[in-house]
Amino acid sequence: MLHFEGKDYPLEEGESVLDCLLRNGEQVNSLCRSGSCQSCLLQATAGPVPAPAQVGLKDAWKQQGYFLACVCRPREDLALARCDVGASFDALVKQVTTFSPNIIGVKLSRPPGFEFRAGQFVQLSRPSDGLMRPYSIASLPSDNELELHVALLPGGQMSGWLSEAVGQSVTLRGPFGECFYQEGEPERPLVLAGTGTGLAPLFGVLRAAAQAGHRGEISLFHGSPQASGIYLRSALEELAASLPGLRLFGSLLSGAPSELGAQGLWQLELAPLDQVVFSRHPKLDGHRLFLCGAPSFVQSLRKRAYLAGASLSRIHCDAFAAPHPA
Amino acid sequence: MTTSIYERLGGEAAVDAAVDIFYRKVLADERISSFFDDVDMDRQRAKQKAFLTFAFGGPNSYAGKDMRAAHARMKLTELHFNAVMENLGATLAELGVPAALIGEAAAIALSVKGDIVSS
Repeated sequence: MLHFEGKDYPLEEGESVLDCLLRNGEQVNSLCRSGSCQSCLLQATAGPVPAPAQVGLKDAWKQQGYFLACVCRPREDLALARCDVGASFDALVKQVTTFSPNIIGVKLSRPPGFEFRAGQFVQLSRPSDGLMRPYSIASLPSDNELELHVALLPGGQMSGWLSEAVGQSVTLRGPFGECFYQEGEPERPLVLAGTGTGLAPLFGVLRAAAQAGHRGEISLFHGSPQASGIYLRSALEELAASLPGLRLFGSLLSGAPSELGAQGLWQLELAPLDQVVFSRHPKLDGHRLFLCGAPSFVQSLRKRAYLAGASLSRIHCDAFAAPHPA
Repeated sequence: MTTSIYERLGGEAAVDAAVDIFYRKVLADERISSFFDDVDMDRQRAKQKAFLTFAFGGPNSYAGKDMRAAHARMKLTELHFNAVMENLGATLAELGVPAALIGEAAAIALSVKGDIVSS
């Protein structure tokens, strides 16, 4: 049984808290429905929270009973409340840039008092109706603006709106996530791998590494269905000037011969991203990894990286997903 | 009273050295990997650490009733149990632990076989 805002809802066998609340007509935010994006965060006020519903949350949040409703399948009664973690900030959409046929860059004004690490993500909501989506931050804390990378999805409510939203206000909550550069180990070899707009947090991590004077080897692997989706190529090549150990790899699922091989500082291959990563890095002892993309991709790469010798504490993941079909 | 293998091996630091080797072995072992293939790898690794601490005779909170309940759902057989024993032995051998000590750890692990294997 769930106790929520003075009402009791019986849970069906194996049903998640999110599904139960939605089934009963409650309005609850959700997006990935796989325990990644943290859109459906709620707080338990009484009753035990199953451990899988708190994977990836900060310890302080776990202790306060915060959990992810989409992957929470309680066996006992649970009393819960909507939560309001993290301050919210108002920002203005300043500029929209086209990065690829399917990806735009959205620059926001930096709200006063908004502190973050490059590579973390925010929950962005549209004030008119509260529609909310998570986006990673590609800018540096020293920048005056916040840059987000947004995938243009067919019929995407938020992405379609954002593409024409210059001058509009948005609300930000966060930052969230542990996918950011670690200071104090300038020699450590780094492996960054991401698909699509998973490049945004990786771009943030790389810029932070450049600012910190990272000297160790860094391999960036970016995956896209086709060559046009390997965006921000020249911006990344420019970073190589201050990151001598940086090597850039692209993984494509289709492409003409002229689009493959050495392209400037890039090496583009017609092979799945995991194959490109592990052919270059069969051994990952002592490496730090940043993995960003769809949850299934991130989980599979994380496991393989661990089997290849990486320590779990040095694998940082940012799993995100397209909106779950309703 | 003799000191435990846990102390002779070097306590928690030794378990920390062993757990990644052991967890990688069971994840790569087709006979049993599916039981260990948890999306929450940190939690699964912590469970392996608890198991190794137990097998080394270190401070642990082993409770037969809980272990029986936790493993009953998996319907484990002799084959699965032996696979874990092999990986435990191979892990310790890789760390250069003397055969006699490996035997002691194996004996402790073997003592709970009845709680793990479904009969």
